[in-house]
Amino acid sequence: MNSAEIDQRVVHMISQLCTVRPIQPKDRLREDLGLDSVCSMELLSMLAEEFEVDISLEEAMAVTTVGGAIDMTRRHIENGAH
Amino acid sequence: MSMLILGAGGFLGLNLVDAVIASGQVPRCGRRTRSNVIALRERRVPLVHADLDSRRELLAAMQGCVTVLHVAGHYPRLSLDRAGTLATGLGQVENVLDAAAGAGVRRLIYVSSAATVAPSPGGWPSDERHVFPAEPGFGTYHDLKWAMEHVVLAERRFETVVACPGACIGPWDLRVGTSALVVALARGLDPPHPDGIINLVDATDVARALVELAMLSSPPRRVLLSGVNRGLHALLCELAERYRVPRPSAPLPAAEAIALADSEERRVALIGGRPRLSREIADLVVHGVPIDAHLARSALGLEFRPFEETLDAADAWNRRMRILPPLSAEVAR
Repeated sequence: MNSAEIDQRVVHMISQLCTVRPIQPKDRLREDLGLDSVCSMELLSMLAEEFEVDISLEEAMAVTTVGGAIDMTRRHIENGAH
Repeated sequence: MSMLILGAGGFLGLNLVDAVIASGQVPRCGRRTRSNVIALRERRVPLVHADLDSRRELLAAMQGCVTVLHVAGHYPRLSLDRAGTLATGLGQVENVLDAAAGAGVRRLIYVSSAATVAPSPGGWPSDERHVFPAEPGFGTYHDLKWAMEHVVLAERRFETVVACPGACIGPWDLRVGTSALVVALARGLDPPHPDGIINLVDATDVARALVELAMLSSPPRRVLLSGVNRGLHALLCELAERYRVPRPSAPLPAAEAIALADSEERRVALIGGRPRLSREIADLVVHGVPIDAHLARSALGLEFRPFEETLDAADAWNRRMRILPPLSAEVAR
């Protein structure tokens, strides 16, 4: 899976949880997209399951933007591929 | 022994998963489709879909289980819709009971709430004998918890055990539920509050108690879990010193606190966010009674963790998860 496909799938999953369009990497999950902390954690959990990557709770709690979610996912997929 | 935990990904659930694993067993962990399962995946425990609104899913999740630990009892965020809340909560608990009966479960341990504990005649601390004879009528949360516990205790198809914890403090409170007042104060806010008795208990003590209830051959039918009974305002003043923040304002009179909570809940129902004071918390404090948890000590061998240690552990966890800002080097010393 290449980076563009990862980005697209992450954005698609976020779009299932909020109504804001378009979704940009700089968007903050809470302030810009209206995802509360519970919803943000659900999103990151969904990403972990969708991409079959193991992320830690501390790492998930540190993600605050769409770009952060994309970076975290990419990083884990790349690490898992090595 | 095969064990299923309903609500495994939540605050008490994660503490319970750890306690079950520490006892040498691997629990089957129930989750909803949209549950946050990050912490469960870290623990490498088996996950099964167990939505409390789906009797079919629950029945499949419970197949082959001897014991079900139910820590997912409906917990309404707001108290505005009493009828809807009771319908949801009772429907879910009936689904769980029917599924357990259908799957041949032998024991169900249900986590209720200290909200079901009635005052003792004479003003002594309440114990397991003290239950409201009918819905307390204080508010939605109390009525819901009483009604759900009542249904569980009336179950006769298999053994049911009820645990009633006070306000749980500890790690994995990702939604900042019962510790909301503590976190608000530590952040330097001035949370509006009434005064009254609150029962506090370490979440890891509750988890260990639940494991004991699962393991005992003849557990008590109902057990109260409370480490300490404290006056809320005095506790908040102590916490203000601990966190080096201004002392909280004086407590609100009960009626004023409840009116404020109702108004706050109506406000957030429209615009989202959290109420500055929830009706559930206001009712719990205004109607709180001291609890005598001697049965937990004698029957379960539970030594409650000293409250200072509970606060230290919760504080460390909240900072690790960035729920509270990191301590400055000066304060950490």
